[in-house]
Amino acid sequence: MPTPPTPPFPFPKEYSFPPFFTPQINLATRHAQLTKWSSLILSYCRHHAIYRLSLSDTTTSPSSPAYPLFNNDSINRRLSLSYIKEIIDFMRRDGRAEWVSGSGSGEQQQGDLVWVYWRTPEEWAGLVEKWVEETGNKGQVMTVYELVEGEGSRGSEFWGLDQELMVKAVQVLVKKGKAQTMGGEENLGVKFF
Amino acid sequence: MSRKGVGLAAFDRSRLTSASYATHGSALRTTNAQALETQLSVFRSLLQQFAQQHGKEIRSNPSFRAQFARMCTAIGVDFLAASASHEGSGGKGGDSSIWGQLLGRTVNDFYFELAVKVVEVCSETRGENGGLIEVRKVRELLQLRQEKQMGAGQKEGGGLTEDDVLRAVGTLKPLGSAYSIVKVGSKPYIRSVPKELNTDQSAVLEAVQVLGYVSVSMLMVNWKWARARAKTAVEDLVGEGMLWVDKQADGGEWDYWSPGFMLEDGLVS
Repeated sequence: MPTPPTPPFPFPKEYSFPPFFTPQINLATRHAQLTKWSSLILSYCRHHAIYRLSLSDTTTSPSSPAYPLFNNDSINRRLSLSYIKEIIDFMRRDGRAEWVSGSGSGEQQQGDLVWVYWRTPEEWAGLVEKWVEETGNKGQVMTVYELVEGEGSRGSEFWGLDQELMVKAVQVLVKKGKAQTMGGEENLGVKFF
Repeated sequence: MSRKGVGLAAFDRSRLTSASYATHGSALRTTNAQALETQLSVFRSLLQQFAQQHGKEIRSNPSFRAQFARMCTAIGVDFLAASASHEGSGGKGGDSSIWGQLLGRTVNDFYFELAVKVVEVCSETRGENGGLIEVRKVRELLQLRQEKQMGAGQKEGGGLTEDDVLRAVGTLKPLGSAYSIVKVGSKPYIRSVPKELNTDQSAVLEAVQVLGYVSVSMLMVNWKWARARAKTAVEDLVGEGMLWVDKQADGGEWDYWSPGFMLEDGLVS
């Protein structure tokens, strides 16, 4: 892809604070810590345009783009998998994260893949709706692939969006009566109203 | 001849003398009072003039403000206390508000507004520091906020000093709030929860200032404490939310960190 390299993410100060990587015992402190982790994860993922995280990948493979998020090698501190899951649950209560369903079938919720909603499907849907109006695409039929990869939407904020996430956003529009889906799973078409 | 008057006339004479002393005395008093009154009114108008002329500078120039505050203290004018009690007395407009009126509400408004911001910072960070924050940190955070609001431009050199923050906290006192200044080691902190620190806890916080963290064995070596004593002091502070635990330190012993070091510039990699 011809995208320019992303500039390094400016980590907040708490990222260099060693106890930040230990689940705090005191409940009030723990809550403050969870809040800080939540906003760090969201801004990191926004910066690198990451839509979903594989927890096992980010904790174990240094080549994963999200590896630095939970591992600060310069102070030799890392987050444990169980605490990451606690943070994700904390974010879920805020509507800022969701386990990717279907991944690792069998285990119901404690999957490995997680959606990170630095924009929720509703927020993405809002952007699409605005774009449809501004570009006069009302009444048009487009495929989801066209929406996120096509030339027509290049430059819009949702260009390059994870296709599965776009489907979620489209479903929000369907519920609002602003769109209708058609076609098969492979090549989902959308008609906007 | 030289006998002192012992007749009835003597009574009259003494009455006359004391009467004339009294009139003379009251005459003196009135002139004195008049002189004082003129002096006061001159002083009043001068101070008012000064505050009006330099109101802008008092707000924007921290060193000027500090000098002005020092001058007021030197001549016995506590403008903060005066205007605070004005609020309390239901705006009767008596003597209590005189300085507030004189100073054109510039100076005390400045400190009241600052006090509100200090309270905001304290309550926002209470979760991470248990309600104890260094005055220097508060100043830094407020300064950052101010710069952000002004759009990163250096429009108006409105800096803040630690002295300003201390004074602002002082204005909160008449409200009977929990905000107070405590000294840990040599550094002033703002405490926003009504909680007393015992001497051991203060000693731990003082030790933490050196490196940013402390461990039980460091306390045992430096303060010559028994393990149980060091452990209790440290765990109490964790219980108050004033220290953070780091369980991944080299050597396996837990370190206890001051949350103040989260805001330290030196630690940012």
